[in-house]
Amino acid sequence: MFKRSFLITAVAMLALAAGCANQKGPATKAIADAEAAIAAFKDDASRLLPNDLSSIETTVAGLKDNLAKGDYKAVLAAAPELTKKITELRDATAAKKAEWEAATAAAKEQWTAYAADLPKMVEAIQSRVDILGKARRLPKNVSKEAFDGAKAGLDWMKANWAEANDAFNSGNAIDAAAKAQAVKDKGAEVLKQLGLAPSA
Amino acid sequence: MAAEENPYTQHYVVKKGDTLSKIAKELYGDPMLYPKIFEANRDILSDPDRIKPGQKLRIP
Repeated sequence: MFKRSFLITAVAMLALAAGCANQKGPATKAIADAEAAIAAFKDDASRLLPNDLSSIETTVAGLKDNLAKGDYKAVLAAAPELTKKITELRDATAAKKAEWEAATAAAKEQWTAYAADLPKMVEAIQSRVDILGKARRLPKNVSKEAFDGAKAGLDWMKANWAEANDAFNSGNAIDAAAKAQAVKDKGAEVLKQLGLAPSA
Repeated sequence: MAAEENPYTQHYVVKKGDTLSKIAKELYGDPMLYPKIFEANRDILSDPDRIKPGQKLRIP
């Protein structure tokens, strides 16, 4: 009786060991496949959807721990859901990248207009500020407060226009265009403070 | 000439009885700054004392 139950146990253990050995290859491959799939879009995802990427990488790290502990069953059980999440992130990253590329193209077009217009706006405002700075008194339509505000506004415009140029030159057209629009808005405000028309 | 290309440069159309000093007083608050207007319009003005009604002056 004892010999028989020992034999059954031994056979069961061998079967389990064989089963585990059979699962090791697929589990190892599942993780390698997942890592290869992530690597294909990782650069874009880390820039565009960093939190989602981090979540998936945490899952992969957990499964690698399971693999190291020999828990292949857990790895294989989680693999389908992981594959689904990777596919979703890959598609979301592609969509976000297309959106980003379209926004960048639009920003580059806007930048061309800003680059032609804003230096002239700054130049005209600078000219008037310099002249009014030499006047013994200000014109009737410009108060001292407005003139001081215009001078501060002009300084702000010059600093932010420089930042916009830096952003554009470092490849960030979207930020550059946003900063340029802010400079243009401030310029409109300064022109008004100086009692000047928006443009001829 | 470059000022002509700047869309933000302001303009003033001379009226009867205007002088550059009078325009400078109105637009700059100081008549003594009239040379700024004269210099910006050297292509159409040869003498600061000679401006004509209807002339469109650049006001820097």
